[in-house]
Amino acid sequence: MRRKHQYWKGFEELASESSFVEAQKNEFSEGLPLDEAFSGQMSFNSNRRDFLKFFGFSVAAVSLASCNKTPVKYAIPYLVKPENVTPGVPLYYASNLGVYNEGFPIIVKVREGRPIKLEGNDLSDLSGGGLCATGQASILSLYDTNRYKNPQIKSKDVADWNLFDSQITAKLGSIAASGGSIRIITRTNTSLVLKAAISKFIEKYPTAQTVVYDPISYSGMLIANEKSFGRKVIPMYKFDKAEVVVSFGADFLGTWISPVRFSKDYRKLRIPGNEVMSRHIQFESLLSLTGSNADSRVPMRESREGLYLISLYNKLAAKGGAGLIPSATSEELAGGAIARAAEDLWNAKGKSLVVSKSNDTDCQLIVNAINILLGNYGNTIDLDNNLNVSQYSETEFEKFVNDLSEGSVKGVLFVNTNPVYSYHSAKKITDALKKAELVISTANAPDETSGMAGFVAPDAHFLESWDVLEPQAGRFVFSQPTISPVFNTRQAFESLLTWSGNALKPSGDKSGAYEYVKSIAAANVTTNWDQALHDGFYSSGEKPASVPSMNALINDAVAVIESSTKTLPETDLILYQKVGPRDGSWANNPWVHELPDPITKVCYDNYLTISKTEAEKRKLEQGDLVKVSVGGNVIDSLPVLIQPGQARGTIGIALGYGRMVPGAGENDLKNLGKNAFPFVLLMNGTSTYIRTSEIRIEKIGSGYELAQTQSHHSIEGRDIIREATFEEYKKDPFVTNHHKHDLISLWDEYDYSTGHHWGMAIDLNACTGCGACVVSCSIENNVPVVGRDEVRMRREMHWIRIDRYYSFESDKGFLTKEKDIDALTKQNTKAGKPQVHYENVKVVHMPLMCQHCDHAPCETVCPVLATTHSSEGLNQMTYNRCIGTKYCGNNCPYKVRRFNWFRYNDNDQFDYHFNNDLGKMVINPDVTMRTRGVMEKCSFCIQNIQSAKLTAKRENRKLKDGDAKVACARTCPSGAIVFGDLNDPESELSKLYKNERSYHLLEELDTKPKVAYLTKIRNNKSTNTKPHHS
Amino acid sequence: MKKYSSFLLFLLPLASFSQGGSEFYNDSTFITVLVLFAVLVLIGGLLFGVTRNLKRIVREKQIELVEPSYYQRKIQPVVSRWNPIIVSLIVVTGIIIVLGGWGYKYAMDEIGVQQDYSPTQPINFSHKLHAGLGEGELQLDCKYCHSTADKSKSASIPSANTCMNCHKYVQATAKYDGKISPEIQKIYDAIGFDGVKREYIPNYKQQPIKWVRIHNLPDLSYFNHSQHVKVGKLECQTCHGPVQEMDRVYQFASLQMVWCLDCHKQRGIDLGNDYYEAAHRKSLKEGKYHVTVAENGGLECGKCHY
Repeated sequence: MRRKHQYWKGFEELASESSFVEAQKNEFSEGLPLDEAFSGQMSFNSNRRDFLKFFGFSVAAVSLASCNKTPVKYAIPYLVKPENVTPGVPLYYASNLGVYNEGFPIIVKVREGRPIKLEGNDLSDLSGGGLCATGQASILSLYDTNRYKNPQIKSKDVADWNLFDSQITAKLGSIAASGGSIRIITRTNTSLVLKAAISKFIEKYPTAQTVVYDPISYSGMLIANEKSFGRKVIPMYKFDKAEVVVSFGADFLGTWISPVRFSKDYRKLRIPGNEVMSRHIQFESLLSLTGSNADSRVPMRESREGLYLISLYNKLAAKGGAGLIPSATSEELAGGAIARAAEDLWNAKGKSLVVSKSNDTDCQLIVNAINILLGNYGNTIDLDNNLNVSQYSETEFEKFVNDLSEGSVKGVLFVNTNPVYSYHSAKKITDALKKAELVISTANAPDETSGMAGFVAPDAHFLESWDVLEPQAGRFVFSQPTISPVFNTRQAFESLLTWSGNALKPSGDKSGAYEYVKSIAAANVTTNWDQALHDGFYSSGEKPASVPSMNALINDAVAVIESSTKTLPETDLILYQKVGPRDGSWANNPWVHELPDPITKVCYDNYLTISKTEAEKRKLEQGDLVKVSVGGNVIDSLPVLIQPGQARGTIGIALGYGRMVPGAGENDLKNLGKNAFPFVLLMNGTSTYIRTSEIRIEKIGSGYELAQTQSHHSIEGRDIIREATFEEYKKDPFVTNHHKHDLISLWDEYDYSTGHHWGMAIDLNACTGCGACVVSCSIENNVPVVGRDEVRMRREMHWIRIDRYYSFESDKGFLTKEKDIDALTKQNTKAGKPQVHYENVKVVHMPLMCQHCDHAPCETVCPVLATTHSSEGLNQMTYNRCIGTKYCGNNCPYKVRRFNWFRYNDNDQFDYHFNNDLGKMVINPDVTMRTRGVMEKCSFCIQNIQSAKLTAKRENRKLKDGDAKVACARTCPSGAIVFGDLNDPESELSKLYKNERSYHLLEELDTKPKVAYLTKIRNNKSTNTKPHHS
Repeated sequence: MKKYSSFLLFLLPLASFSQGGSEFYNDSTFITVLVLFAVLVLIGGLLFGVTRNLKRIVREKQIELVEPSYYQRKIQPVVSRWNPIIVSLIVVTGIIIVLGGWGYKYAMDEIGVQQDYSPTQPINFSHKLHAGLGEGELQLDCKYCHSTADKSKSASIPSANTCMNCHKYVQATAKYDGKISPEIQKIYDAIGFDGVKREYIPNYKQQPIKWVRIHNLPDLSYFNHSQHVKVGKLECQTCHGPVQEMDRVYQFASLQMVWCLDCHKQRGIDLGNDYYEAAHRKSLKEGKYHVTVAENGGLECGKCHY
């Protein structure tokens, strides 16, 4: 039977491909290789008697095997217990997250001296309490067995820092004496402490200079702002004040500048119950996370972005009576999208925002001019409280590489930078580095650059560090160690101070680093050290945002853009960052790679994304392997992924893969994906991530299976998504929720009157689909990493997943019915027109975890009562009772139960972090490690509920709303998930349950789920309401 | 050959158990299985020998008559009258009872039921002396040493510096002819204290004390001391027995789930605690003054297993 595909997860579902249909038949991918084991040489035709013989023998053998002595366990107390440590009770410290160069305030949960979980610091508006997936996962880098254990000279461990330092200072001294120059390469550096240490270093060695290197560049924006306003800064964008947001390719919810903070702000105007709902228009080539959340998403060739910006400027200028740019071309997109965007922007003058990802100075100049025209500076754009995200200048770094090649730079010191991997020409920089007399790296784990360094002075991990950083002008983040150093490492600033003859010495029981950082903070930030350290951040107050005037003329920029875009290139290659792996710095982190990409839902690989029409034109199919060459650079083999929503004529490859990490474990992280950084081109002094010429794609193979989770756990085409437009919502807030079912229940109702009744609400309007909750849940609940092959077999263990659904949009409105889609396809084929609807897709992200049904279908089928209902409305899973029949999973309409096919801990087949003593330190001691053969699923973080209740009982008080937290809701940057007690009428959750938009999934089954979803409302004009059961 | 290879297949899972790194299945497991295998081969050999002998006897019988043996005269007539099915049932039942009883004891140990477990500790510490109420006994409060019992999930074994609060001075020299008690000396050795000079030794390499853990709950069950001590207001002795009378501590309770649940079915929750306000109101309405832990959801799986 074919189903009506109203929402679909991938082309295989849309076309009801046989593989998809077959896969859906098996709830659990079978795969115990019994047939293989018993075939061939080992074949046996067993009969009943054989069975009895083997059975009897096995029983006897196993019972004998179990007759070992019970192991003796030890309890080893502290000798001298630290005063503030209570065994079994977590401590929380405010500190800094090292994932973002510039600094990000976090809270670290520490159990018996081990950090086990990171969260955003909700006291500070720099994070607002949220944390991204990469940030969540970064805690594992502390327990990475690959880290440098000692300082190294020529790849040999030197346990003694004094010996190491004396050799370095001798070398540095001789270089300085001979007048040879020294370069210190840092990432964008906002650390006051490191800056102070570097200035001491330069005092001692005057030939030293600093150069900044970042893998991802924002220099186009920096230079444009310098030209426009005389200030080389990245402004603070205020998405919470922007009622109309127009983004040209900027993935500000996923990877652009400061996504966590932008998500938090963006969400504030996305909730339709409030007076204003923002309108978000995205022009882009690839389907990005931000684009998937836009009200209107318009596919655009990013190589033509400049022309569209000029066109937008002209349309706005015409409205405002400002001078038009004499432009020969007036580029327009399908359906007059630019004109409509101009209309919307003009109506929201001063409350709008135009942003662009482009790293081209000229494009950014026009973006500035547009924002000036709209009067956005001072309102939604703040140049005075600027962000210190990037200080990278390609010209300076090129100069350094050239100097190095010429041999005039004698000493190079890489402070946590890895240009050998991400520089566009690895060969040029490696050849140049060979000419230097002294190369020092402070990497804390081996990377491509530290492999070239004669001296490695491993830096401490950010959770072992003291620091003060300034991520935004006037806002400071304080970092404090939350664990004593795991290895023999030393913070980079201490190394620099030591080499410049200012070695820090402990005073009393305080370490030298502590005293030094405290003195820097007192001199530059605040003398109220204890308070600042406690809060983890300090703000010296927000400056009033000034309204600048633009002093650059954009006519030159227009001329450059027009001359460079005279011809339409055949193909645009767009290099982008993926949410999760980002720029590749976290290549050795399994959590980052096991997280399905929010859009493609692929784990572990990078690939070539291509639109369906383009793929048909080039005769490519999903899973084909292609050789991609751009200019002289080649990627020998890359799988193809056909991506709905992608603009025709564009292909995309993610950066951040193909790391050659020495010493990595024998697992799927080794040599993962292909490095696309060599494709980055330096043009007009800035890196460009869009290539348009000399692109060749050659098919070299086929049949590569990407570990793609999109069609796993299919909801079988059932109607679970509700959405409407803002117009319709304003007329009738219950717009999608009128249809109710008359249901008769066979089951008795539970009595929840005396305790709690836990529930959850998920706002589909707030959820961006970023995946932070998935990683957070995995860490909190010890969910194992299973690896690429197991994901291919649909055995991923994540307790929460984010389903991403596509639906078509066409000129005629919103296409949901199969016959409409077929008709459109046929019509286009007949007319010889491209299948435009494959580019115009709408996306809904839906987080799905155990729904904790009151009438849970899983509970009634368990033969051993391993899954039961609690008096607080929780659907409990008792692992030690479970015998693994999987009936519960079969009977769950939401497909949220996961089966443990293997014992993932202590198993060489799954060599991620559960398999070594160091990686095990991250395990949450309050949650059982599940073993092979049992079912598991979301527990609503029952360990946190129990602990919150116990605290309330100990303190002799009632439980307050918000005491009990679940990992997914705690980390969500946009606050889409709310957890609470339905018995408390004042709780945020109870209010959301009464919200007009609130509905439950598959209400007609009368499972009475305790997770409510809030209808997705889009602020666009075309109608897309689909009444329930249409 | 085919037959034997498939037979050996069943050894494979056992071999992988032994490599699994679990403390329950160590290398001796595999050896045990091999020994078992050897025994089976031996029995097979014996049976083969017996058959051969019997066949020989039959052959000889055909040639000449021999005097019936004692077995043939006395035992065989009796045995041949027995119903083979009933006899085998009786024998099998007997074996099951004997082996079952023995297996039960092993199983109880194996799943962690270690009632009366009383291992030797690295320091011969007497709870009777420290916490006892008798003459010359010190009557220390349990929570002086196990100080986190009302704050945390674990009651915690005191750190050595807690011992040193007293044992800096108390050296029990009277019992040992003026010398420092060897047991107290063990604390000094661990923490680095010079008992004669009565001062800490600087830069001493401290050695932690490895106490043997007596109460071992399996990882699959969560237990919190503060829930029972502070909220439930239980005495330590309710679960740990008369520790104040134990020279060497033993496990008093079985720590089986049924033991937990029996108590949860009897004991009431503290209705005076503001947390239980709703439950209190309901109980008053119903005229009840005792709400058991079980009635309040204390028998649900998810309270302890997650």
